[in-house]
Amino acid sequence: MTAPLHEETTAKTAVAEPAPGKTETSIEGRSLGRIAWERLKRDKVALVGGAIVLLLILVAIFAPALTALTGQSPNERHENLIDPLFSTPKGAFGGMSGEHLLGVEPVSGRDILARILYGARVSILVGFLSAFVAVVFGTILGTLAGYFGGWLDAVISRVMDMLLAFPQLLFIISLISVMPNNMFGLTGTGVRLLVMIVVIGFFGWPYIGRIVRGQVLSLREREYIEAARSLGAGRGYIIGKELLPNLVAPITVYTTLMIPTNILTEAALSFLGVGVKPPTASWGSMLSDAVTYYESDPMYMIIPGVAIFITVLAFNLFGDGVRDALDPKGTR
Amino acid sequence: MTTLRTSRRRLAAVSAVAAATLLATSACGGGNSDNEGGGEYNAGVNKVANASNKKGGTLKFVGVQDADSWDTTRMYYAFALDFARFYSRQLVSYNPKPGKKSLDLQPDLATDTAQISDDGKVYKYTLKDGLKWEDGKPLTAEDVKYGIERQWAQKTLSGGPTYIKDVLDPDGKWKGPYEDKKPFANIKTPDKKTIEFHLPKPNGDFEQMLAMPTNSPVRKDKDTKSKYTLHPFSSGPYKFKSYTPNKSLLLVRNKEWDRSGDPLRKALPDKIQVTLLTNPDERDKRLINGDADLDLNQRGMEVQGRQTALKQHKGNVDNPQSGFISYVAFPQSVKPFNNIHCRKAAIYGTDHKSVQTARGGPTAGGALAHNMLPPVIPGYDKSDDQYGILTNGGKADVAKAKDELKKCGKPNGFSTTLAVRNTDKADVKSAEAIQASLKKVGIKVEIDQFDGAQGPSIVGNPANVEKKNYGMILYGWGPDFPSGQGYGIELWHSSKIRDNGNNNYALIDEPKIDKGLADAIAELDPDKAAQMYAEVNKEVMAGAYYLPLTYLKVVQWRSDRLTNVYAADSYSGWYDFASLGVK
Amino acid sequence: MLTYLIRRLFAVAVMLVVIILAVFCIFFLIPKWAGIDPATMFVGKQADKASIEGVREKLQLDEPVLVQLFEFFKGIFVGRDYTGGGTTTHCAAPCFGYSFRTEQAIWPVLTDRLPVTLSLALGAAVVWLFIGLTVGVLSALKRGSLWDRLAMTGALAGVSLPIYFTGLLALAVFAYQLDLVSNTFTPFGENPAKWFSGMILPWITLAFLFGAMYARLTRATMLEVMGEDYIRTARAKGLREPVVIGKHAMRSTMTPVLTLLGVDIGALMGSAILTETTFSIPGLGQAVLKAINDRDLPLILGVTLITATSVVIANLVVDLLYGVIDPRVRLG
Repeated sequence: MTAPLHEETTAKTAVAEPAPGKTETSIEGRSLGRIAWERLKRDKVALVGGAIVLLLILVAIFAPALTALTGQSPNERHENLIDPLFSTPKGAFGGMSGEHLLGVEPVSGRDILARILYGARVSILVGFLSAFVAVVFGTILGTLAGYFGGWLDAVISRVMDMLLAFPQLLFIISLISVMPNNMFGLTGTGVRLLVMIVVIGFFGWPYIGRIVRGQVLSLREREYIEAARSLGAGRGYIIGKELLPNLVAPITVYTTLMIPTNILTEAALSFLGVGVKPPTASWGSMLSDAVTYYESDPMYMIIPGVAIFITVLAFNLFGDGVRDALDPKGTR
Repeated sequence: MTTLRTSRRRLAAVSAVAAATLLATSACGGGNSDNEGGGEYNAGVNKVANASNKKGGTLKFVGVQDADSWDTTRMYYAFALDFARFYSRQLVSYNPKPGKKSLDLQPDLATDTAQISDDGKVYKYTLKDGLKWEDGKPLTAEDVKYGIERQWAQKTLSGGPTYIKDVLDPDGKWKGPYEDKKPFANIKTPDKKTIEFHLPKPNGDFEQMLAMPTNSPVRKDKDTKSKYTLHPFSSGPYKFKSYTPNKSLLLVRNKEWDRSGDPLRKALPDKIQVTLLTNPDERDKRLINGDADLDLNQRGMEVQGRQTALKQHKGNVDNPQSGFISYVAFPQSVKPFNNIHCRKAAIYGTDHKSVQTARGGPTAGGALAHNMLPPVIPGYDKSDDQYGILTNGGKADVAKAKDELKKCGKPNGFSTTLAVRNTDKADVKSAEAIQASLKKVGIKVEIDQFDGAQGPSIVGNPANVEKKNYGMILYGWGPDFPSGQGYGIELWHSSKIRDNGNNNYALIDEPKIDKGLADAIAELDPDKAAQMYAEVNKEVMAGAYYLPLTYLKVVQWRSDRLTNVYAADSYSGWYDFASLGVK
Repeated sequence: MLTYLIRRLFAVAVMLVVIILAVFCIFFLIPKWAGIDPATMFVGKQADKASIEGVREKLQLDEPVLVQLFEFFKGIFVGRDYTGGGTTTHCAAPCFGYSFRTEQAIWPVLTDRLPVTLSLALGAAVVWLFIGLTVGVLSALKRGSLWDRLAMTGALAGVSLPIYFTGLLALAVFAYQLDLVSNTFTPFGENPAKWFSGMILPWITLAFLFGAMYARLTRATMLEVMGEDYIRTARAKGLREPVVIGKHAMRSTMTPVLTLLGVDIGALMGSAILTETTFSIPGLGQAVLKAINDRDLPLILGVTLITATSVVIANLVVDLLYGVIDPRVRLG
């Protein structure tokens, strides 16, 4: 919630006119996806962002293997590398060495690289899954509101307005703090991850819902929908076969832009101490731990901070690129 | 009720120490480099730094936490009790000497220590001549009695310790000075200069309890009840000039105080100024810049300040041993810790060195704890090392731990939950270290953080402990007054197991231990009593109810201007404020 | 206009009721579902059986939720008495609850903290509007230039940085290393100069995050507006460029910026929690974080309500401002 998702920033472009008619019947007969890909390929910055995103996903998946390659593990303590007087790592730059490439943590001497790699798992997992939750909720409710209109639309729209105006971080923290420690057979970090995914996703769906509703609202009056309806197509068919495919573009754009926001939220929660539990590594909790040492061991703060920065920036660059690529007006 | 109060002070003190987490080199090595004439490293430990009798100047305290109350009856924070001696006097008080010597009680308002009669059931004191309040009126035995009796008025004046109340009125029959029309029978004032205490049962620590500033005189016509904290009426060398809660406090000389009648307080500065901040880093910065002389809260410096202090101003640093211990209790209600061998396995399997490092190392964290009685308390026995914690240099004894696991019938280890306060960073780090070391012997530990302020209802509630499966509880503890009773009875005595606000987390119910404690309390000779507490402690360790972790230490700043600085065991190893002066 | 106002005020009231309901759910229903006695969450440190029972009586926890809600609303308008355990505690109107943990009414805490948070938020808003609008307009006017590219990359970076990271970096560099500004908060009444010095970094840090989004938005809107007919007309009339930009184009640009500002008040609260934590500013954010840690529900409820109220009011003000800024908007 540090950086709320602002659809206004993009509303002018991506949302505007996915215009299925235009692209599908364009002279070359190229699909929207193909056009978008062509455009994206030309956007070097976005490609770099995309490459980094891909790399991060791979890192998250293969974190154990990568860590094993360096001969370290995230929770092994190396107290012999810690200055007993100050609790900070011996040696310059937070104890960086051939063995510990990014140095070690103050106090415990755990390998920072290993913890960063494992921390990526938490960030990526929460970022993606909570976006997924938001997309599912947002698409369903947004479609319902837009397609059926009337009182259903009124209720859903009001709820969305309300959620958007809520002090969300506050609610998320309160919610997490009253959640029990054991649920559905999960304990400790597992519960926290689940709760974070669900809660962040829950507060994110109105962003998707709003867009979807607007799209459906304009699409349902289009001729081709009318045509389908007059041919006797059922509601389910119209929504599933005619409407949803046209929603893919804006949803893709918003999902890509939502993931970095969610990653920031997860980091903020862990920073505030309501995120994952020790000894699980998370970038946010590393940063919060580093606050105490920001003068004596600045590297410990800089490393997770930069990790968050690069990740979020890469997602944002990529998301921007995808949006521009899917924008038929091509304002760029 | 006692429990709650106890835990309150304990919490305050320990989190203070926690904040202090990091200091101190082992013992008094190094530290000869004298910078800026500020003295030497540890010059205020077991000796007096900058001894002087020069009067005048302003003594400047800086802190990040205001007292829980400045009303002597209601205060429980250790620094407040220490500070209260600037404006209050007691019948007896601590000897103004460094280290252990501070524990000898000296007469203060009284002409001598107690005349004890009737087999330790009657304590009689005679007041000195010429005692006066800050308005010049005479201070009488009646005022002392009234001041002590205020602790019965718990409904209005809650928060402070109630040891005297519990000893004199164990069944709580008297309702206190505000509500009960009848006078209290067990404190008598035959004349203006004499006061007598009649104990239902002898208690060897009664005089130690009386020395707490909780038992300072209060004059009835000046008692503003719950507002007394804003301007306590002074019987000591200084009086309140102005006070804004959480911001500032200024004390000036009390002209009516008679120096010749009070050898325990040096009263050197003309003014005493307290500045309260919110940011501990800012506090350390002000100390190092010389804008303030010492930390009011006495919790030690933060990491950054500690670094600067130890690297550039080592001569301004003291690293005294505090009276606090960090430990883990094994509630016997939670399986498999009902089995002594599983408890022993966890004790052997814990890497004490690693826990010590997690707490901040030997200087800022503290010394390896090898039994449950910390060094500041009489009865401490360095040779009592039943689990070889010292002989192993703090390393875990994996072989023995596995052996005990087999005896316990869990050769492949087991899983358990360790409860730890989220309010104390050093506690959480210690818990992580325990988690990592026990994993190596096959004990899988899940850490559950709870809100420290709610301790009494979470870990202090045995039913809840059982429900949440807290097999291990990490906590801190310190004595309310420096004796085995003030330290151990809450932790070890079966009668102290409560449904809520329990401190006997391990649920020790062992007749041998109960009897040992009862005998020690009844013993009037402090040396013999200390011996007896040491024996009880040995028994506790043999039962493997507790896993002692660290005897806490703090890194304390002492400014160049400060004179007569020393850490006193009577204040849990913190500075004796009443002796301080400025150059 | 008047009917519009009345309608909006009614909506505000509904929104607040819903928020209270939501908070009640979080703190009464979820714990119940998880098997935690809500009464234990309201007691202070002295949680023996008697005091829990006392709190239960005082808060009427055995009554139906609706009665509890009614009592709460009553308290806001006429004050209320908490009776139980043999004592009565009075809480004068407006009673936003009473903390049994700290033995104080919530309202004075709120009025004590709110100005601090407001000064943080308003100061930051001034800075970010200035930066965001200036950078956005300049970028739009020099579209495609090096300046534009740099500014927009910087803006994207700004959105991607966690506020507690930038805050810590800024503190380390400007307060500790260079000693340019104060590193602590000083109340305005105590020393205005020191207050200002202590607030500069929090303002800039917060403004950095939000300003980046405003720059992007301003640029996009400006570009769009510059292509509109009336701008061409204005130019054709022979108006000088500064007048065209400043008087005509800026007006339309301000509309989406204002909308964003309204939405951001809610997000700002979340950021304020993080900013206040990072810079140790004794505002609402810090109070609520501590309250959440202590499970001091009345305080959380109070802070949530007061933030939600300010969000709703801010949105109302923004809506009214539309009419002033953009003559095309008619309220009715």
